[in-house]
Amino acid sequence: MRVPHALSALLPCLLLTAGAAAATPPPLPAEHLTVEQLPAQTPHWVYIYDDAFANEIDARIYLFDGDSFRRLGQIGAGFDPAYNLSPDGATTVVATTYFARGSRGTRTDVVEFTDNRTLSVSGEIVLPPKRAQTSPSLFLVAYSSDAHFLYVSYVTPEASFGVLDPLHRTVLSEIDTAGCMLVIPSGPNRVSSICESGRLLTVTLDAQGREASRTMSAAFFDPDKDPVFVQGVRTPEGYAFLSFLGEVHAIDFRGAQPVFLPPWSLMSVAEKGHWRPGAEQVWALHRGLGRLYVPMHQGGEGTHKDGGTEIWVFDIASHRRLARWPVQAQGLSRVVAVEVSQDAAPILFATTERADLAVFDALSGHLRHLEKHIAQTPWMLLIP
Amino acid sequence: MTGRAAAGGQRGAAAPALLAALASLAAAAPAHAGAEQNYILYCRGCHGADAEGVAGKIPPLAGALARFMRAPEGRNYVLRVPGAANSALTDAQLAGVLNWLAERYPAADAPQVAPFTVEEVTRIRHTPLADVLATRREVVRALAASGAAPAAQY
Amino acid sequence: MMRTLDRLFELSTRSLAQRTSRRSLLASLGQLLTGAALLPLLPIDRSSRANAAEAPPGPESPENCQYWKYCAIDGYLCSCCGGSSTSCPPGTSSSPITWIGTCHNPGDKRDYIVSYNDCCGKTSCGNCECNRNEREKPMYRPSRNNDLNWCMANADANYHCTVSVILGVAEK
Repeated sequence: MRVPHALSALLPCLLLTAGAAAATPPPLPAEHLTVEQLPAQTPHWVYIYDDAFANEIDARIYLFDGDSFRRLGQIGAGFDPAYNLSPDGATTVVATTYFARGSRGTRTDVVEFTDNRTLSVSGEIVLPPKRAQTSPSLFLVAYSSDAHFLYVSYVTPEASFGVLDPLHRTVLSEIDTAGCMLVIPSGPNRVSSICESGRLLTVTLDAQGREASRTMSAAFFDPDKDPVFVQGVRTPEGYAFLSFLGEVHAIDFRGAQPVFLPPWSLMSVAEKGHWRPGAEQVWALHRGLGRLYVPMHQGGEGTHKDGGTEIWVFDIASHRRLARWPVQAQGLSRVVAVEVSQDAAPILFATTERADLAVFDALSGHLRHLEKHIAQTPWMLLIP
Repeated sequence: MTGRAAAGGQRGAAAPALLAALASLAAAAPAHAGAEQNYILYCRGCHGADAEGVAGKIPPLAGALARFMRAPEGRNYVLRVPGAANSALTDAQLAGVLNWLAERYPAADAPQVAPFTVEEVTRIRHTPLADVLATRREVVRALAASGAAPAAQY
Repeated sequence: MMRTLDRLFELSTRSLAQRTSRRSLLASLGQLLTGAALLPLLPIDRSSRANAAEAPPGPESPENCQYWKYCAIDGYLCSCCGGSSTSCPPGTSSSPITWIGTCHNPGDKRDYIVSYNDCCGKTSCGNCECNRNEREKPMYRPSRNNDLNWCMANADANYHCTVSVILGVAEK
């Protein structure tokens, strides 16, 4: 049968189309949905606390890679949480609150454990509904240095703290601190709290996590004239606290009693009172290098939560100021939180009032990367 | 609303309201100059506008304080609770606030309690209690056995 | 055109405020608005009643972070949430516990004692974020601290917004 005219007219088009098809790439293969696996943890990972203040029941922690500048994942954190890392860096612990109906309802306080290899919740401990709901610091939920105990600060507004067993996931005891606040791990089986009077309470626990004894120091700072920020840093000897006017109060917890080292000032006489530390996470320490990083701003009384326009770098042993990084002049908004990695090629992370994350070379101050809008309200940074 | 309202009512009725209120604050209790203001600034936030506390969370001071103050173990307890022992108030200011409270919110069954002296405060307050709740239970039990006592539960 | 620009400015500042940390940005934004650093650049037609109603509040307004009574407030202004500086929004509960500070009123040059109760039982208002810290102290002095969630003792402890209520004149 003769090929119908229409078909014969069509044939060149088909041939043409077949020819054209040879030039079109083959279709993409079907994809497979997987769950991303985290790479091995590096010293340049940072856990970024986001209180999400405008949506405070949905706080979270972001994991960010300071080398690849990528977000690696998220840990849920409930309402106005506190957080910390286990001493081995393998676990993120979050002390938080959930309401039964989200925006309302029965309050449940919990400590949640997240496996940092998978970012999956591995367990929880239900607390009495007493935990301190406030700005983050190292001392609202904290491990003992040997990870044997986990401490949670309670404010109802009566002050006390819970002693937990993180391995068996139980509450061991509640210790009344008679108004003193915070859980500062201060030696094997010891927890210290800062009192309104400027004194330090230290409670020694027995093996079951119950109180064995307590002592009260003399006042180590003047809470009326120059209070210390609660956002202390861990030092090789214990912890150090920075005052509103820039005095460093280091505490050596290695002995039987806390030893208060003589305070020293971050600034000159002329600068004192005019330049001030402040904001949310007020300083960071590289323990191996003995290098302090402190966001500083100019201002008077009442500016202790203002972000820093500069980052001042100090040698903690000699007390010498090594550098002043003019971060605001580099185009950043004011710095509200800083943390430095503890390795030999350290990175300084800084979050700002506009919720950006800056990644600095911690030795040179060179800005390597600015991640815009890393979170809603990134008030604290933790590095394992 | 202000805590001064009750005290200001009888005085200076002809004077402008604000001046009257100021005068009443100054004249309220010469022995406790500034005591009411110290109560407002250091205690009222938790213990309440009328020292009523918060059920289950914060103990009341109205009436209860006077009952504690009638006996030595109660006076000892009151001076060593966190709000007293660790407070920023000086010994004299603390004595002033407590005495003002006892006078302002007396207990009919614990009349005429002796005011705290500054010496008494200095001697006792600087040893804060270790277990506040346990001590309170013991003290209340002891007081109940000998007369007027604050409520065991708050 | 003018109304559109006005609206764009208002929307961009609000979304910016919601994206920032609670420190200072909105406070400094309030200063910008009242300090007229930006406003003259916008072609606002003040002869129009509708446009005048959209103009940002000045520091004499309880919807402005620089309002004198807010000298140590931390959170969302209840004035912007259906309440006022002395009332909680409908359906919320006031906190029975609070912290109490003092603020200077430049209008009559007096210092006033101010109570910063929180309003509780609903999630974050999200509007008019404000954080100032005159004479504020860290949490170990709770009677001077604005970081603590003062809704902590409420049956429903969700934080919604903060008021500031005059209790009296502060005597020297």
